[in-house]
Amino acid sequence: MASNGGGSSPPSVSSPDARQSSPLPVTNSSPTEPTRRSGGRRRRGSASPYASSPSLGGFETPPHPGRRTPSGAGAGAARQQRQNWTGRFPPTPSTPMSTDDIPPSSDAGEDETDGGAGVDATPVFVWGTNISVQDVNAAILRFLRHFRDPRDAGRVDPVMDEGKYMRAIHRILELEGGESLDVDAHDVFDHDPDLYSKMVRYPLEVLAIFDIVLMDLVARIEPLFEKHIQTRIYNLRSSICLRNLNPSDIEKMVSIKGMIIRCSSVIPELREAVFRCLVCGFYSEPIMVDRGRVTEPHICQKEQCKATNSMTLVHNRCRFSDKQIIKLQETPDEIPEGGTPHTVSVLMHDKLVDAGKPGDRVEITGIYRAMSIRVGPTQRTVKSIFKTYIDCLHIKKTDKSRLHVEDTMDIDNSSASKSTEEDFLSDKVEKLKELSKLPDIYDRLTRSLAPNIWELDDVKRGLLCQLFGGNPLRLPSGASFRGDINILLVGDPGTSKSQLLQYMHKLSPRGIYTSGRGSSAVGLTAYVTKDPETGETVLESGALVLSDKGVCCIDEFDKMSDNARSMLHEVMEQQTVSIAKAGIIASLNARTSVLACANPTESRYNPRLSVIDNIHLAPTLLSRFDLIYLILDKADEQTDRRLAKHIVSLHFENPNLEELEVLDLPTLVAYISYARKYIQPQLSDEAAEELTRGYVEMRKRGNSPGSRKKVITATARQIESLIRLSEALARMRFSEVVEVRDVVEAFRLLEVAMQQSATDHATGTIDMDLIMTGISASERQRRENLVAATRNLVMEKMQLGGPSMRMIELLEEMRKQSSMEIHLHDLRSALGTLMTEGAVVIHGDNVKRV
Amino acid sequence: MVGPQYDLVGNPLGAVRATFERTAAAAAAESGGGDPVAAFRGKDWGVCELFRSFIFEEGGIDKVPVLNASNLGLIKPNTLVRYRGMVQDMLGNEYYIGAFKDGSTWRTNKFTDFSPFSMPHPCNSHLWERHLFHCVPTPGQNSWTLESSPGPDVRRMSNCMSTEVREKRKRDGEKSENDAMDVSENGHEESSSVCKKPKEDDVHVSSGSTEVAESVPEVNGGGRHIPGSPFSCLVKIYDMPDSQVKLNDVIEFIGVYTFDPELAAPSDNPDDIMLDLIEDVTVHLPPSKVPRLHCLVWRKLSSHDFISRPPVAEPSPTLLKGIRQSLLSHFTMVLGNDELAAQCLLLHLLSRLRNRVDEVTVGRLSLNFTGFDRESASIFGNQLYSLIQKLVPYSQAIPMSIEYLNSATLQPRKDNKSGRLITGVLQLPQGSHLTFDETLLQTGSLTSKGVENTMLLKNLMESQKVDYDFEYYKLEMATDVQLLTLSEGKSNILPSDLVVPFRPSSVPAFNADAVELESWRWYLATVRSLPQSNDPAIYQMIQDDMVSAMRDDRSLGCSELSRWLTMAQIMASSFGEKSLSLEHWQMVKELERLRKERTQ
Repeated sequence: MASNGGGSSPPSVSSPDARQSSPLPVTNSSPTEPTRRSGGRRRRGSASPYASSPSLGGFETPPHPGRRTPSGAGAGAARQQRQNWTGRFPPTPSTPMSTDDIPPSSDAGEDETDGGAGVDATPVFVWGTNISVQDVNAAILRFLRHFRDPRDAGRVDPVMDEGKYMRAIHRILELEGGESLDVDAHDVFDHDPDLYSKMVRYPLEVLAIFDIVLMDLVARIEPLFEKHIQTRIYNLRSSICLRNLNPSDIEKMVSIKGMIIRCSSVIPELREAVFRCLVCGFYSEPIMVDRGRVTEPHICQKEQCKATNSMTLVHNRCRFSDKQIIKLQETPDEIPEGGTPHTVSVLMHDKLVDAGKPGDRVEITGIYRAMSIRVGPTQRTVKSIFKTYIDCLHIKKTDKSRLHVEDTMDIDNSSASKSTEEDFLSDKVEKLKELSKLPDIYDRLTRSLAPNIWELDDVKRGLLCQLFGGNPLRLPSGASFRGDINILLVGDPGTSKSQLLQYMHKLSPRGIYTSGRGSSAVGLTAYVTKDPETGETVLESGALVLSDKGVCCIDEFDKMSDNARSMLHEVMEQQTVSIAKAGIIASLNARTSVLACANPTESRYNPRLSVIDNIHLAPTLLSRFDLIYLILDKADEQTDRRLAKHIVSLHFENPNLEELEVLDLPTLVAYISYARKYIQPQLSDEAAEELTRGYVEMRKRGNSPGSRKKVITATARQIESLIRLSEALARMRFSEVVEVRDVVEAFRLLEVAMQQSATDHATGTIDMDLIMTGISASERQRRENLVAATRNLVMEKMQLGGPSMRMIELLEEMRKQSSMEIHLHDLRSALGTLMTEGAVVIHGDNVKRV
Repeated sequence: MVGPQYDLVGNPLGAVRATFERTAAAAAAESGGGDPVAAFRGKDWGVCELFRSFIFEEGGIDKVPVLNASNLGLIKPNTLVRYRGMVQDMLGNEYYIGAFKDGSTWRTNKFTDFSPFSMPHPCNSHLWERHLFHCVPTPGQNSWTLESSPGPDVRRMSNCMSTEVREKRKRDGEKSENDAMDVSENGHEESSSVCKKPKEDDVHVSSGSTEVAESVPEVNGGGRHIPGSPFSCLVKIYDMPDSQVKLNDVIEFIGVYTFDPELAAPSDNPDDIMLDLIEDVTVHLPPSKVPRLHCLVWRKLSSHDFISRPPVAEPSPTLLKGIRQSLLSHFTMVLGNDELAAQCLLLHLLSRLRNRVDEVTVGRLSLNFTGFDRESASIFGNQLYSLIQKLVPYSQAIPMSIEYLNSATLQPRKDNKSGRLITGVLQLPQGSHLTFDETLLQTGSLTSKGVENTMLLKNLMESQKVDYDFEYYKLEMATDVQLLTLSEGKSNILPSDLVVPFRPSSVPAFNADAVELESWRWYLATVRSLPQSNDPAIYQMIQDDMVSAMRDDRSLGCSELSRWLTMAQIMASSFGEKSLSLEHWQMVKELERLRKERTQ
């Protein structure tokens, strides 16, 4: 015995007596043994009380394929061998499962020609079942020969007279490479539901027959084909949840989905052993590993030698096959609340080794097995506990290639994204796609966003656009345009701005929520600081870098330090953050959408002042926001009442979702991340035209007849914003094309936002200058008028090089002449303009004409 | 039922087997030669019922010894024991031969790992399954809870321990070079090394009943929770519908204690890699350190179960009001005569998570006392914490220092190598109380781990959820934890619902006798579980009041109003009222007014 002591081979549960007399199966059964020609071997691993113990199989194959003659007599040999086996193991007493237990007849299978439709007088049954070997054999052969893919039906092909699998077999033979035949279980079912159910219930036996049939077929077509072809079943009709595997699934074919969490290293498993005589150096014939053990020759085979106990294993000449064990864990969506994921071990062989790596989501088809735990050799009693694993037949990665198209800009797939990566299963995708086809999806999404904040519908629409985002564009010249939409919310306290932010933070795949007080743009670590006055601790974190490819929500934007805010300039347009540390300037990606909210400086919004005056933000920064919303508290009792009602219902009742047509949070998140990943809408020609037309119109509106002054209502930045918005709107519909209606809606959204923020309160018109420069056109007009008036006054009242006048005097003169109300500082700035023109000189309060 | 026919405590397996054989025989006779036991898969044939009535109805629970670190070596295997612990990890299912035919009799292996009979041919047996749970003493469990339900003295019982068992144990002990009688020590060292070695001074009450914490625990570090508790137990549960037991549930298991050192004997044949790889996690839990318990009866424990004797059966409002008053005045004393703070503390301790709608949690009330510095935190904080410890079943104090944040393992993490869930500080049973001392937080930088930890804490504060790290994905676990923060200014790292500036006017005084403590515990447990039913009329009144409040103060938002309502409901409960009245609502508004005055 080369490797097996009494304790090393896991004893099966079968009676201990049997163990003494015949070596019991070891669990390392392999679905693939390239050189062995047929089934039976699957049985070897069985330690289960069901269906297959060593004595169960009605057939076995020759363990020495080397002896096989290439004449196609192999099948006969196989049957011969099988006969021996059945002879060696007389059927054991009845199993509880078997209702009609017919012992395999010892002379069965003699003339069983590749499933010759039960020519046999005495049919061979799979032990313990009512499955007739001949019947199955015939059914499989029928299936292989005659199954035609219904999808191929229409095609006219010279090879079409052959079935799908016959073609596959031919292909394998031609290429000489394939070692396995993938069989779609759905095909089996379509062709023969009975065969399918037998296969699932008794996979060991049926697959063994499958292999025999396949070998016979191959031998018929190409007698010289030496390789073993393995049948790999996949795509079972129903897949079982890992958690629901139970003892009744043992020895059944199961299909489970899960995530690989661990892979063992590849283990070489001995298949054929070669021994050498230590005395004479004679090499023995290769000896097959038989059910996990090798019989070491006791005597040297060489006639001249005949030394006893002289044989030693020669590792170099032995044949090994690969084996690997992986751990499969449940995916998060299958875990009930308050549970931890279950795991199962999966045994992989040969080609399947390294087919998956940790982190992959896979669907595995295999045979669920149980084996008893090894007990020490001195053990009196037999242990009653079993270990379970799955003998893998087929592994399928759940479509990473199709659904995981990497984002065009996504180069760094760091560990951080690994954990948050949302996997889209095809049925889930279907559901999302169905949703996207609803005519009211836009409204529905709007409703679903922060459903307990009412009104503010246009704000929510803007936020939705931000979540979906536009397409980033990188021109060959190197210039890149961001796809992220930045939004600023300005408004009174208590208008649920923060709640909106919180909600957005939860929705966004990599959102960061931070308060403007404690944010610096850089750094992956954070710094704890203490406010010296209040003792409040503040966490300064590098919010922007952390939210790369997400939404960075900055609350209390107005309280952000100037330093950090200046960093935002770069982030919001170039989408990078530069850090200078130890003389090295690093540029980190910060492809983030910024959602900021700010309180007005006077704590309440002063409608008489412009946005700029209400929040102290640099116009340069302000202009980088695509949408600026003013959320004013209008003290609407109706809204208040609604809020109160909502809160009360939250506490007292089970708040029934009033609007049933609301997407729940996980769906919404999935919807958004799917759209962001896979939908890259392009502008249609009509949409582009509409965009141009609308833009021109917006610009025109500024110098409409009736108003003398030129007001800029739109700038180039706006057109970029518009493109982003319309792309986002198309994405919401999962549409690859930006249509005219998207553009129209984008214009509407922009206008709503501008009306709120960029309206010049002096004139009531929209004025982008307000945002761009902080000075409205009307204000500028007023200043120009003042300068002109001052110039006239100076010309009038003062002599060239004459005595200087006091500013107060000038002011009084001005007030006399002009109907306008003029302040001293207005005059001062007007005079300042004149001084730069070289018209006057100012010394303190004195003005002198030069 | 049958009652004294069996020695249920001394030989539970006898009862199990005898009842099974009888029932199986009866079933066989009935079915007439068919397979009688197939029907018993996943079902009880009456034995659990037998034990249940023995334990709960006939008062048998007092006769069952409690399994803990100190008596692990003394309890005889295959006897009935009790174990109280938290489900720390779920180790999946285990298949075993449940029933088999021995000659002509059907026998069972249920509730044991070993069979005294040899296994028959596989076709004469049935494969059944059971669930494995890894249980640990509840993190942060306070010492008073351990006194509530003492079992009989094991030391006295252990006289009858058979020599055979001693022998076995010795053999097993030799391997780990420890004497058999030192198992408790042994247990400390070994099982903890499975997860993480705790520091010596970390050992808190959770190390078992050996250490009864009479000493005043320090808020600063004294109550630190140990990752990888020193005394764990592998519980095997039978016939349980899936997901009935949840992670972090605190459960009392009553079942058969088995000790089979051979079971997990280390693999003596390194050639057989195959088995080592399929090997499950129990290998890391040697039976000599981690006892096996085959559970017959179990029940989830609530804080009520720790109170030995309720003063009265029915909580009447008058009684509750009286206790409320005494508790409140005591709080006031401990808090240096700050009545407002005492009121808030009471509401805080009575809060519990009542509802969860999407991301909104209803019912929680985390509290932030501001105005502490290091000195006052050590005076008031320690007093406060030791009081809380005496009142709630599970509590922990966490020192929020930079070093702690950077080094502590807060997040439970799955180690896919060993297949075990490695606990973190935030793996807590429902209803735990956490006290954070933020006065220790100095300026300094946090590492990425520190940032992660603060995120976890913030997430816990805001949504009562903890992300468990499963390497390839994170799993959110819902929690219900009361959170109290002591800080200098308003804590931005731990954003609490209620921020109360603390204004003590005297030094804390703390004296309470056992009877008082007992009644307070009962009060807290009772009020927290009091059902709420409300009259729809009150909704309208509160809604109206909210609207007018919003009119007066435009800064009121959803979160404030929601908090008011939470507080009002707790306030009503605290008086023993089942429904909220306008009076309580006004009380809360007054409380809020006083609090606002302080914050300005």
